Amino acid sequence: MSKTKKYWTGLDQLHNTPEFQERAENEFTPEATADNLLESDKLDEGSTKRRDFLKFLGFSVGVATLAACETPVVKSIPYLNKPEEITPGVPNYYASTFFDGTDYASILVKTREGRPIKIVGNKKSKLSRGAVNARINSSVLSLYDSARAPGPMKGGEATDWSTVDAEVGAALAKLGEAGGSIVILTETIISPSTNKAIAEFAAKYGEGVKHVTYDAISASGALEANEACFGVKALPSYNFASADVVVSFGADFIAGFPNGAANALGYGKMRSPKGGKMSRHFQFESNMSLAGSNADVRVAIKPSESAAAVISLYNKVASATGGNTLNGGTSEYDATIAKAAKELVAAKGKGIVISNSNDAGVQTVVNAINNLLGNYGSTLNMANPLYLKGGVDSEMDQLVANMKGGKVGALLIHGVNPSYSYGNIADFNAGLAKVDLTVSFADRLDETAAGVTYLAPDNHYLESWNDSEAQAGSYSLTQPTIQPLFDTRQFQESLLKWAGNDSDFFSYIKANWADVHTASPDAGLLFSDFFNTTLFNGVFESGTVGETPAFVGDVAAAAGAIKKVTSGEFELELYVKAGMGDGSQANNPWLQELPDPISRVTWDNYITMSPKQMKEMDFSRLERGDFMANVVELKLNGVTITAPVYPSPGQKYGTVGLAVGYGRTAAGKCGDEVGVNAYPLSSGSFSVGAVSSIEMAFDEDGDPVVYEIAQTQSHHTLMGRDSILKETTLEEYKQDPKAGNPDLMLYVSSAGGSGHGDDHGDSHGEEGHGDGHGNEEAAKEEHASPFLPASEVNLWADHAIATGHRWGMTVDLNTCIGCGACVTACGAENNVPVVGKEEVRRGRDMHWLRIDRYYSSEMTDEKAEEEGIGVIDKFTLMETAAETPQVAYQPVMCQHCNHAPCETVCPVAATTHSNEGLNMMTYNRCIGTRYCANNCPYKVRRFNWFQYYNGSQDFSKNPANDELGRMVLNPDVVVRSRGVMEKCSFCVQGIQAAKLKAKKAGRKVDNAEVQTACAEACPTNAIMFGDLNDKESWVAEIAKDERSYHLLEEVGVQPNVYYMTKVRNVEENEA
Amino acid sequence: MLVNDKIIKRSNSVKLYSLAITALIVLSSFGASAQDGEKLFKQNCATCHLPTEKALVGPGLKGITDRAPSEEWIVEWVKNPTAMIASGDAYANEIKDYSPTAMTAFGYLADEEIISIIDYVKNYAPVVEAAVVAVVSDGDSDAEASDDGTLRNVLIGIGGLLFILIFVLSSVRRSLTQLVSGKDGVDTPEERGTWGSITHWMATHRGWTGMTILVGTLLFLQWGVQDLMNIGVYQGYKPTQPIAFSHKIHAGQNGINCVYCHTGAEKGKHSNIPSLNVCMNCHTYVQEGPSGTEEIGKIYAALDYDPETKVYGDSPTPVEWVRVHNLPDFSYFNHSQHVVIGKIECQECHGAMEEMGVVEQHSPLTMGWCINCHRETSVQVANNGYYEDMHERTPSWHDGEAITVERIGGLECAKCHY
Repeated sequence: MSKTKKYWTGLDQLHNTPEFQERAENEFTPEATADNLLESDKLDEGSTKRRDFLKFLGFSVGVATLAACETPVVKSIPYLNKPEEITPGVPNYYASTFFDGTDYASILVKTREGRPIKIVGNKKSKLSRGAVNARINSSVLSLYDSARAPGPMKGGEATDWSTVDAEVGAALAKLGEAGGSIVILTETIISPSTNKAIAEFAAKYGEGVKHVTYDAISASGALEANEACFGVKALPSYNFASADVVVSFGADFIAGFPNGAANALGYGKMRSPKGGKMSRHFQFESNMSLAGSNADVRVAIKPSESAAAVISLYNKVASATGGNTLNGGTSEYDATIAKAAKELVAAKGKGIVISNSNDAGVQTVVNAINNLLGNYGSTLNMANPLYLKGGVDSEMDQLVANMKGGKVGALLIHGVNPSYSYGNIADFNAGLAKVDLTVSFADRLDETAAGVTYLAPDNHYLESWNDSEAQAGSYSLTQPTIQPLFDTRQFQESLLKWAGNDSDFFSYIKANWADVHTASPDAGLLFSDFFNTTLFNGVFESGTVGETPAFVGDVAAAAGAIKKVTSGEFELELYVKAGMGDGSQANNPWLQELPDPISRVTWDNYITMSPKQMKEMDFSRLERGDFMANVVELKLNGVTITAPVYPSPGQKYGTVGLAVGYGRTAAGKCGDEVGVNAYPLSSGSFSVGAVSSIEMAFDEDGDPVVYEIAQTQSHHTLMGRDSILKETTLEEYKQDPKAGNPDLMLYVSSAGGSGHGDDHGDSHGEEGHGDGHGNEEAAKEEHASPFLPASEVNLWADHAIATGHRWGMTVDLNTCIGCGACVTACGAENNVPVVGKEEVRRGRDMHWLRIDRYYSSEMTDEKAEEEGIGVIDKFTLMETAAETPQVAYQPVMCQHCNHAPCETVCPVAATTHSNEGLNMMTYNRCIGTRYCANNCPYKVRRFNWFQYYNGSQDFSKNPANDELGRMVLNPDVVVRSRGVMEKCSFCVQGIQAAKLKAKKAGRKVDNAEVQTACAEACPTNAIMFGDLNDKESWVAEIAKDERSYHLLEEVGVQPNVYYMTKVRNVEENEA
Repeated sequence: MLVNDKIIKRSNSVKLYSLAITALIVLSSFGASAQDGEKLFKQNCATCHLPTEKALVGPGLKGITDRAPSEEWIVEWVKNPTAMIASGDAYANEIKDYSPTAMTAFGYLADEEIISIIDYVKNYAPVVEAAVVAVVSDGDSDAEASDDGTLRNVLIGIGGLLFILIFVLSSVRRSLTQLVSGKDGVDTPEERGTWGSITHWMATHRGWTGMTILVGTLLFLQWGVQDLMNIGVYQGYKPTQPIAFSHKIHAGQNGINCVYCHTGAEKGKHSNIPSLNVCMNCHTYVQEGPSGTEEIGKIYAALDYDPETKVYGDSPTPVEWVRVHNLPDFSYFNHSQHVVIGKIECQECHGAMEEMGVVEQHSPLTMGWCINCHRETSVQVANNGYYEDMHERTPSWHDGEAITVERIGGLECAKCHY
């Protein structure tokens, strides 16, 4: 089955349209070069005539010549008083903590000369365990955001802190005396010291002070359910690393869930088939989510069917374990649910049932299932729960009602942006207008801050002190890694100041931590030692293991109270993108340009729809190669959303999806006017249910409105070579570890000869499988076989690959979940420019590392032949197969071929081979012929079409083009100029640094020390890096694994990157 | 006799010579104890006291014998000031609060030693004068460079004058010829004019003409290529710095180790310009250099530091040095690799810094220059675990030939360009 499965990079490849073929042949879209300029109207608008042009030309040549002759004067300004720990040119790492209301991670911040430039995970944390995702490692760029407020503001005008303090203080005092209502509206606070500061503030201003927690991505239902079931208003911490069976109802526990990166790490650990055992993952969902795309068995269901499916699973588990069954809960997916139930029961105590529902009833039933299975205490930890979500929707709704009723005297807003993310924005804004004293602590004049009187901007978290208790007993500290860039003040300090406490927050935390210290096992240590050690490590685990609370939930009542999700012709499910999250980092261009793992679309959100349905509704399925999507109008409860519609194989027929986090209006130059705001559709739950209508939008001429989608995948196809992704099933793998990955034998006409340098048949080689050709080989026994292993067929002279270092990478397709953390990490490390939506549309995205996403189709050439299906019909049938596709992710970076085709065609030897196995790219020598990219079978080279950094307005979104954004650049890597090729360098700067460190210490290079940015960022360790010639290195061992293979082995370029066969834990004919 | 050596070296100056003689006469009058006194003073006292009237931590010692009750009193004070104060001595109690830092007791100094220090202080001043002048005059090596320039300008000027002279003389000659021929009434054979004569000559001497044009073209091309190759090469670049810091005084005369200030050279890619707090390690006390207080004063100004009160102000301004060695951005160079692993002396690339009054770029810093060194330099494999491991893994290194940087991949692009 698996051997003959075909993969498609997109629907246009599936249909193999002429446009697709043409594009596949062109590495670089030709339309976009000089023609564009010449055709544009601007050329005629200008007043420059030919003679003037020649004059300018002459003048500039003269000036350039003169300028070249002068010695440039470069100033070098040392510190006045150099801090002892800083050595210019040597990075320092500081432990800190990231928390944005959903994602939590203990992190290490890499700083150079006092500038934070990169974020990596801190492995010392037992909670986040060194895992970070794209949003976390991109957050360093949000620090250098020029849209941040330069200082405090009053009514949108700049003011100073003393004015704000005096006026706000006076107003608060007046309210406090009168017993008026003062509300502090915040995101979930996990900081014990912040909570204490809020309490101190409340104590000062009396009974009227109320603290309301609000989460843009709410887990209110789960919190209420857990409070009812366990008496704990918190989320369980999931231990995916010991979960044999995972059943998820719509929960994208990797991308949009609290602590998602750590979940991914645990999940990845169980996805390796080594030893013949891997986890089994069932996913029931409407949209194709990141978790769903990694599932072994994925069932597309409608949002309105989800609750019934959960009850059905409960009933099946209950009847198997002797629990009471519930009424109802039959579902058309019962066959699969029964299978899931059976496996869950078989793996009692080693399973996880998880749901994204925001309905307390559904979450109670899910809790009950986990309880029946005895999962609490093993895979779900309620004893030491997670505090990452704390918002209860009803409290927020009550607050808005109170505001509208004029009952709120003062509203202090921190960390949330309800004018953007609250379901009923108009209500909130109307309420806000009725509050006398409104203060926002937002870092910029965002949607909510625009409606308040005072803006008291908070520091960025990299400029702040903070502490956190993300999980009971698991503490971490946040420390500043740079002086505040603007005239900002920490939220906590503002609160304390208004509470009459002039202490800075650092001293406040220290004082507060005295309690943590006394209660800790380290109470014997001096406090300063304890605190400094914790600060150095970033984390402190108290080691206290709580007691798992008993399950006391009333399942029957909860099931009866489940709020029905309305069903209809179209049901809407909102979702969270792996890159954008809740939209708070919308002005971060790295995240905007990160292609969505599923759709491979950048800089947009869009309505996802089943391709089958799109065909029925006559929408463009983006097969014509022009990326022109139809725009539709989606109406629901008086809200109209106008957005392009995008085909998403795997989307449940009759459902549509839309990502939140887009459509910001006051985020800044990168985040504004990108996509549409989906929050107004949510009304408290992302499972929205039936929408009123979805109709194609027409312009005044009656033509359908179309919109050009900026997608990255179809630009870089693998030229029709579809043997790049190998896969098998767990059963087959257990029988033969080389299943799906047979040795590739190439047909060599000079049979029995050396096979070197002679005619090898056609350029693709003849593929065959070792076993398959056994008979032929036997038949030709007397004269040696004409088939040779691919590694022995050679055109070029070998490099000395067995000696010295040979840097190599391994990519495990089983553990790669496609999250994109590697892509943003690579961009941060290597100063990869952000090119913007328009350039992505032209196929000029610059990412050195892309994650190809492949949908599978069950239709095969053999099947078509067997059933006598014609070519056209075959492709049509393949479309139906794509309705419930299996998905595979494949990160592709420069393969660092030992016989690199790019090297042989460079006319100026700008790309050459190193004796350490690297394919080197020398920018200063490159003249931009692009022959190398044309000759690269992997399409991993990127061409700099423009000066992305020199102030051009066209690339104003590129961090290097912004005075402030430029501070994020890695000084060890050059910023490439226009007209040169660039590509993955295996982070050669890191290799050189690791080697130097080893030389200084007089020892061999340590494997853990030499890591590429992608390998370091990968939360599941799917990407590994090391020295293939070092027998003790991780990669040397993995390279020998039976699953390891080279991409396009038949072209004989001998890459230094190994991929590992994807093994699916599926039964025959399943999913 | 450091000072004397210096003076003798620079004896080409008459002025210096006479000063040297003065100094010698003065010095010779001191005798052995004065020299011991100088040594002892530097070892024991110089941290807090200057032999002039200027104060450091403690008061300047000039005129101490006039101030103090007696030399014996000074001896006793130096040996144990605390006891003197405790004994209720009037003068001791008068001066005890001069500075928050109490005077250290020097019980180990013999009476004679203390007296020799007092003698040294008494006779101090004239020596300083001599030394200052000597050093100032030898810091000035700009003269030679400007001499070169002047010579060239003079030569060009003379050439120009000669050319004008030739032109004038030939015009005179032509006028005279015309005059003579007119007088004689003889017809001029053919009036060609200057240009005409040249073309006529060229037409009649084709071989010579062709040869000259060819040689001229070749020379021009050669000059052009050479000049083009030198674009971006700033060997000899010697900018004026905001503070006239002299490596010759610091690294040469005072023998301060390079990495005392350039701390980064052994740690990272930059051999950093020291921050001003490093300067202040010494210049808190050394407030006056050979050229006076002006240059050192610039440090104080930058730090907003008052040398009198020893108080730092709150409006410091950084010093904007002019960078001398400018490697292009696309070249990665790591000092610590070369200094620590390669064990290369600073001078190999930077020239004799200890002799430079003003820093100049000694090496061309071209890629060819880098590559040449990588071709010639051998790697020290022994006693470094990293290289020993690599040596074991690489049989091709076992041929007994020198393992140069080139052989371990030191000419590869991505060793410096990424």
